Amino acid sequence: MNDTAIQALGLSAGYGGREVLQDVSLSLKAGEILCLIGHNGAGKSTLLRVLFGLHRPSAGNMRVFGQMPANYTPAALGAAGVALVPEGRGVFPDLTVDEIFGLALWSAGVAKSAQRERIEEVLEVLPRIREFRTRRAGTLSGGQQQMVSIGRALLTRPKVLLLDEPSIGLAPKLFQDLIRPIATLRETRGMAILLVEQNVREAFAISDRVLVMRSGKFIFEGAPSDLDDHAKLMELF
Amino acid sequence: MLFLQLLLQGIQTGALYALTAAGFALIFGATRIFHFAHGTAFTIAGYVFLACWRIDQPVLGALAAIAAAVLFGLGMERFVYRPIQRHEGSFFTVFVAAFGVAVVVQNLVGMIAGRGFASVDTSLSMAEEVLPEIFLAPIFWVAISVAVVLFAALSAFLTRTHAGVALRALAQNPDLLRAYGLSSNRLSMLAFAVGSAMVAPAAILTAMTTGLNEAVGHHVMLISMAATIVGGVGSLRGAALAGLMLGVAESVALQFVDTQWAEGVSFLVLFAFIIFRPSGIFGVAQTR
Repeated sequence: MNDTAIQALGLSAGYGGREVLQDVSLSLKAGEILCLIGHNGAGKSTLLRVLFGLHRPSAGNMRVFGQMPANYTPAALGAAGVALVPEGRGVFPDLTVDEIFGLALWSAGVAKSAQRERIEEVLEVLPRIREFRTRRAGTLSGGQQQMVSIGRALLTRPKVLLLDEPSIGLAPKLFQDLIRPIATLRETRGMAILLVEQNVREAFAISDRVLVMRSGKFIFEGAPSDLDDHAKLMELF
Repeated sequence: MLFLQLLLQGIQTGALYALTAAGFALIFGATRIFHFAHGTAFTIAGYVFLACWRIDQPVLGALAAIAAAVLFGLGMERFVYRPIQRHEGSFFTVFVAAFGVAVVVQNLVGMIAGRGFASVDTSLSMAEEVLPEIFLAPIFWVAISVAVVLFAALSAFLTRTHAGVALRALAQNPDLLRAYGLSSNRLSMLAFAVGSAMVAPAAILTAMTTGLNEAVGHHVMLISMAATIVGGVGSLRGAALAGLMLGVAESVALQFVDTQWAEGVSFLVLFAFIIFRPSGIFGVAQTR
């Protein structure tokens, strides 16, 4: 099996004639955690939307484990093993956690007989979800909602997890509690993670590699330790 | 006794209003499309049933009425609303397009089936004295039963099936639904199919009771819209309850006003809600 989880070449994308991504190429290996940082409007979320088929690129192509997806739709990329945890609270406030999980399993086409096992898998990684499975997502705290959002994505057993700023609105400790169990999945399942994050310190602690984006282009690629020097990081921003 | 008679008639009418209002509320709640041609689905379903009844095919007629309403709803979603939305058309564009279709269909029905009232003769609508001075036809019980069963089925569909839960999710955040890998276009079509199917039983029962005319859809639409607002936008049970309430209000008002003012009573109720409780019965008050 090809160990490159995602290989994107020359991706360009924009909105209404304004180009947000400019000829971006990236490679994400199986089992790797790649952290993508950049200021607001740099194009990070757009890149994730393109990689999950929510936004069609104007140029370029991508492969998932060496295969071209059947088409650039969330359904096709989901079937290829990609899952996205979108920015903000990726839950439906009037649905219960169980309903959200049921919806995710249904959309992924998981057989009814296998659904209980999938949910148990997620609850092993994020056990606190057991405490509020029957509650409406809108009544949960920000951290609990983010947990549900990530748990929903894990139900599809993704090989590639795209996380868009999961720390927004969360205390650093809460973010650590949330992200560390996810990070272990790269070791246990070989899952690749592309993490867009503003909380640089916490994100660097679990990442293998860092990409810095500015104005739709990558301007730096290296190990997190390369950016330990605060001055250098500030210079890039 | 007159009051009780009018109340029972109102419950029968209200049960049918509840069905059409629930269908409209489902479509509007899930897709945020103001489907003004919802009443047109009612007209089409009713006249399809009438045509089949006249060739002694009532069962086929009921099935064909449901199919016709569903096809009309799907056609509106696919060929009218979706192209408008693709070009980011405004609420007003959607309204005018739907209104135009409604007028065209009304005229076509008038040309094909003839203008004026048409109904079917059935023993189900023959009233009998069940209590002194109280007359009820068997269709009363049919209307109530159909409304209760269909509303229970719709509630079960929305809470116990994945497709139903997905429709509720569509109402809350269509963009997020795409991140779940679901197609909001397909779910929108499902909302139109289910919502439009809800009008067919009401149209059939109306054909058996008060009868139909080519303009009946406008009245149905106005009632559905009023019930959706009175019930609380986004609440199916609110729309159904409000539909029932408006039917009862229209009927009971006949004790005090002439028949031609009955429809106005529904709008008095609507205005009262807009002024005193704009969020409706089950709606949540919005703050600016």
